[in-house]
Amino acid sequence: MAFEQVDKTLVTHDLVQDLKWDADLRTQFEADQTSVLDRYALKPEERTAIETGDFRKLYEMGLHPYLGGQLARLIYGNAAGPDATRAVNRLIASLTGEERPDDRTTT
Amino acid sequence: MADIVLSVAASHAPGLAGLYSGAPEDTKAEVDKMYGTMGAEIAAADLDVLILVGNDHLANSRVLEYPDFLVGMAAEHTGPYEWFKPWLNCRDYTLEGRPEVAEALISGMARRGVQFFGRRENLRYDDNLSIPTVLCDLDTNDVPVVPVLMNCNVPPIPDQRQCYAVGEALGDIIQNDLPNGMRVGLFGSGGLSHEPGGKRYFFIDQEFDHWFMDMLEEGDHDKLLNEATPERMEESGAGGTAELFAWFVVLGAIGNQPCSRLGYTAYDNFKCGVGAVRWQMGS
Repeated sequence: MAFEQVDKTLVTHDLVQDLKWDADLRTQFEADQTSVLDRYALKPEERTAIETGDFRKLYEMGLHPYLGGQLARLIYGNAAGPDATRAVNRLIASLTGEERPDDRTTT
Repeated sequence: MADIVLSVAASHAPGLAGLYSGAPEDTKAEVDKMYGTMGAEIAAADLDVLILVGNDHLANSRVLEYPDFLVGMAAEHTGPYEWFKPWLNCRDYTLEGRPEVAEALISGMARRGVQFFGRRENLRYDDNLSIPTVLCDLDTNDVPVVPVLMNCNVPPIPDQRQCYAVGEALGDIIQNDLPNGMRVGLFGSGGLSHEPGGKRYFFIDQEFDHWFMDMLEEGDHDKLLNEATPERMEESGAGGTAELFAWFVVLGAIGNQPCSRLGYTAYDNFKCGVGAVRWQMGS
């Protein structure tokens, strides 16, 4: 995805930044994603894409890939090793439409 | 007149700490060699300050209000920032800052027509500062640091020519604004090829990485400025490889000095080509 496709105004950017910067919000997101998403003025299709892990849609809407990678870690796991590898593979699978095992560590 | 007595540049990637133990032995040996060499040379250089330039990675500002350059002005820099700790799995650290040098950079850049922002409180540091710190032992060797975090991600980013020009201004500030006799080191932190958050997340463009470091060793800055464009960076890794523009800030500051590579390794799970170079200063 080229830089030019990034929509700086996409509200998901603020959601990801807030989740990175606020441990309490992160805990709430893990326990009840809906209540956190309710606080953000997300477009309906943007919200649905977050709820379904549809990163391709989010990127089409202008999500910055760097924050997309971080959103994947917020949803699927953040620790180095299996957690992060699962997050990366599920992100790639969403973007490419190809199935990938959660533990793959190659292109 | 202060002196630039040391200049290096190297990759950072969370995996260099967080995934190091699972890496192949030859990869670990190459990482140890590169960062160990830089760490020893930094320690031996008896620096009054190490100015480290690296990608902010969208860690400190919102996309809608993103500075191209943000200087860490704190008296102490601590890290890694809490959310990045699981990625990095490295020790916590505290680095001595140099607020007066940070102020000189910001005001000196303003006088030269360059917008540098600064924050007096501790910034959020991820692998940009944490990897050089723990792999080169900047904290345990009491190396004073001024971090300059830059925009390599939010379009439009400062390109190779803009970063080189910022580097020239930095060199002028060091030469004319910082105190006589101050010993300054420069560290460009970032690259090589990688595509964080993209379809090619695990891809490492080894051909690009060697091409880029070959050009550095050739020392032809005109060629570098003509060919290492944002478009070329994007081809080799969208949204990641462009953090090599931090190296152009160092290049602009030091001018044409002999450059040699300290090593290179490409391990898929690091999700980043990892290399390091050193410029021979005073030649």
